[in-house]
Amino acid sequence: MGEVNHKKEKPLQVNPFKLSQPMGATLAFLGVDKCMPLMHGGQGCTSFTKVFFTRHFCEPIAIQTSAVTDAIAVLDGGDYSIVESVKNITKKVTPSLIGLHTTGLPETKGDDVRGVARQIEFPMVTVNTPDYEGGFESGWARTCKALIEQLVETSEVVDDNTLVLLPHVSLQPIEVEKIKDFIEGFGFNVLAVPDLSSSLDGHLGEKQAALSSGGISVDEIRSLGEAGLVISVGDSMQGCAAALQNKGLEMRNYHFAHLNGLVATDRLVEVLLEETGFTRPPISVARWRQRLQDAMLDSHFSLGQNRFLVAAEPDHLAAICQSLHEAGGRVAIAISTVDSPQLEKIEADKVIVGDLEDAELAAAEYDVIVGNFHCESLAHRLHKKLVLRGFPNWEQVGNALKNDVLYEGGCYLLFEAANTASSRNEVKHA
Amino acid sequence: MASKPKIKELLDESACEHNKKKKVACNAPTPGATTGGCAFEGAQISLFPYADAAHLVHGPMTCLGTSWETRATSTSWPGRDLTQMGFTTDVSLNDVVFSGEEKLVKAIDYIMEHYAPEAVFVYATCVTALIGDDIDLICKQAAEKFDIPIIPVHAAGFVGSKNLGSRLGGEAALTHLVGTKEPDQSTPFDINLIGEYNVTGDMWQYTPLLDELGIRVLSTLSGDGRISDIRTAHRAKLNVIVCAKSLVSLTRKMEERYGIPSISLSFYGKRDTSKGLLAIAEGLGDDDLIKRTQALVAREESRLEEKLAPYKTFFNGKKAVLNTGGNKTWSIAAALQDLGFEVVATAVKKATEDDRGKARQTLGEKGVLMMNPGVEQAKLIDETGADLLLAGGRSLYTAIKKGIAFADVNQEKKKSYGGYGGLLNLAEDLKNALQNPVFKNVARRAPWEK
Repeated sequence: MGEVNHKKEKPLQVNPFKLSQPMGATLAFLGVDKCMPLMHGGQGCTSFTKVFFTRHFCEPIAIQTSAVTDAIAVLDGGDYSIVESVKNITKKVTPSLIGLHTTGLPETKGDDVRGVARQIEFPMVTVNTPDYEGGFESGWARTCKALIEQLVETSEVVDDNTLVLLPHVSLQPIEVEKIKDFIEGFGFNVLAVPDLSSSLDGHLGEKQAALSSGGISVDEIRSLGEAGLVISVGDSMQGCAAALQNKGLEMRNYHFAHLNGLVATDRLVEVLLEETGFTRPPISVARWRQRLQDAMLDSHFSLGQNRFLVAAEPDHLAAICQSLHEAGGRVAIAISTVDSPQLEKIEADKVIVGDLEDAELAAAEYDVIVGNFHCESLAHRLHKKLVLRGFPNWEQVGNALKNDVLYEGGCYLLFEAANTASSRNEVKHA
Repeated sequence: MASKPKIKELLDESACEHNKKKKVACNAPTPGATTGGCAFEGAQISLFPYADAAHLVHGPMTCLGTSWETRATSTSWPGRDLTQMGFTTDVSLNDVVFSGEEKLVKAIDYIMEHYAPEAVFVYATCVTALIGDDIDLICKQAAEKFDIPIIPVHAAGFVGSKNLGSRLGGEAALTHLVGTKEPDQSTPFDINLIGEYNVTGDMWQYTPLLDELGIRVLSTLSGDGRISDIRTAHRAKLNVIVCAKSLVSLTRKMEERYGIPSISLSFYGKRDTSKGLLAIAEGLGDDDLIKRTQALVAREESRLEEKLAPYKTFFNGKKAVLNTGGNKTWSIAAALQDLGFEVVATAVKKATEDDRGKARQTLGEKGVLMMNPGVEQAKLIDETGADLLLAGGRSLYTAIKKGIAFADVNQEKKKSYGGYGGLLNLAEDLKNALQNPVFKNVARRAPWEK
């Protein structure tokens, strides 16, 4: 492990890939079935967020705004805008839950959203997510924690067959599904919270839905206290696991910094074998492990000759760097959006908290970029190769089905990285 | 705070067409039932296309993090395209408690040192407006220090809608830029293009024709714009507003202050493009120029007709249903008619009285103006036997259920449909949509569904 710099030096962000807390909160609520995320703030935060996710997923995004104006901001402590919002939302649709999350504006004024929500007779979960604190990952994690704390009923019974999966924000819908399937293969009943695998996986429904169409149901969330096991994926999710353990009787937690690459997947299999008492995993798991071994060997030559820059949210950064590292890909610089305990564990020569200007200034140190849509113009300008990962990816379709996790996804990521690295063409002009 | 525009005045804009009937300001969003962007987004739309200026957003991460590099506003500026860069102070809790002013000062210094832009726009946002950071003073001091325009933009999101924000952006340009510099030379045919943002290079579909006519684009607000040009905008002979009602207050003030008349037009479709070019010539009031423009329009139309001929044969007898809003309700309808479609219906739910009148005129007596398109369009497709639904992504389901072709009306954000050339792009895209078997294939029943 190399040098780690936790603090940003500049007075500003230049070409940021950092995203805000309320956006992470919105996405988390979209992993709950028939939910209406309600962002408390000016109308723009919601409008921007809606367009942002619509373009990433190529799907309609359910979200509403409390539409706070300057006059309202001065006079109202949130009572008016939130009560009115709920009234107007429920006039048109019947959500199973309204997910109230804040932005910088009401937090600066000090609105007591929890207090307001308590006076409203409608199922609501509230979470404080000012955008001047934390980032995308913490917004998602705080929301997941709020869902657990405010909905899960304390249980006196334990169902050892039920396992709760807590995925970090950067896992795409198919990745959540693959992890669920993988664990179900060992005989568990798996519930993920939040669960994007059935809401934003890009499926053609019967009609345009006004609410999130898929995800974990509110009733399922209520009953999570019965689960015997909880698997948290990503360091940002550790607090959620602890919150869930408070609701259950002797619920056991296995934490994974991520589930990418051979080593992490091996550990998951070990845990599942131990928990089930099985001696062997399902046949397909063993087969995919062999394929990943082969993929690592097939790709190591190309990966080993190239230096990578990876720019991602902390949990995602740790995941990608580990996968590349295992097959010999050298990560020269790993750039994180925000600080995190993950940074100390990342397999890279240099780990910093920064922006894409930092990536630009370090151009001489790498050949291939792994990062989001904003890296496209960077790669083009610097004549670098590019593997698109993370939010947003407005350049390509099919983001919801990109799978990098476990043995299987590991193969796909390594092949794509190796093929991109050894391709003769640099990024074409958009 | 002298530079802060008076929002109430802007909302009561006399030149605002719908204000004759509706006295209430268009500025009261309903909590829980609001779509559309905020004032900051509007200001960003109207000013970001200046690629030679840095655009510094003084606020927390949502404002810029979601929005930079989202609009394909092309530029010919040879330097680094600052439009496609993101600068933000990314204010933290510490800044909220102790003020973000020091950070803002340092951020401007950093930008000047590393990017040397022609100007810096500093955008206030909800949080920094609420904590009371004095961006006016900071901009004034920085402008003196660096001797370039450093412009405060007071369009925090919570002051209103996107439309109001565009006005506030225009207001900032008027207050701090227009009239601060004399042009090197003047011609009798100098115009300003106002509200043309050159999205997907739209403007370049017709500026070569203006060039050919000897009409000089002195400045733009702000497509392919330059700071040094907009500073000379007060010397133009005519303000040309392109598809942007939001900037009528700006042009009215320029008329009052500098005596520049203005005209409003669109370059969408063949007829509008021709009308637009002629209106500019007439606005400049030169007989010879008018004659030359008439000749050029005739030439361009016949060139276009030649290229469109195969498409028109293909589109002949095809019926289209249009579901969009604003001036598109009639301007796209007219473009479709230019291509040979029969437009059987257009949605007018999100259109002003004026737009509804134009839609009726465009579609004729037989055409249906849909007040509730979500419900009506499916029925109308059945009744009229329409072949194509041109709408926003939400309506895709309707098209698939009815087994007809679908075209996303927002495709224009990726590809220019403006001017004569853009009509060919539109024709090609619609032909592809009509020939694409995907809509019928996707609508197949699953083998297990009887």
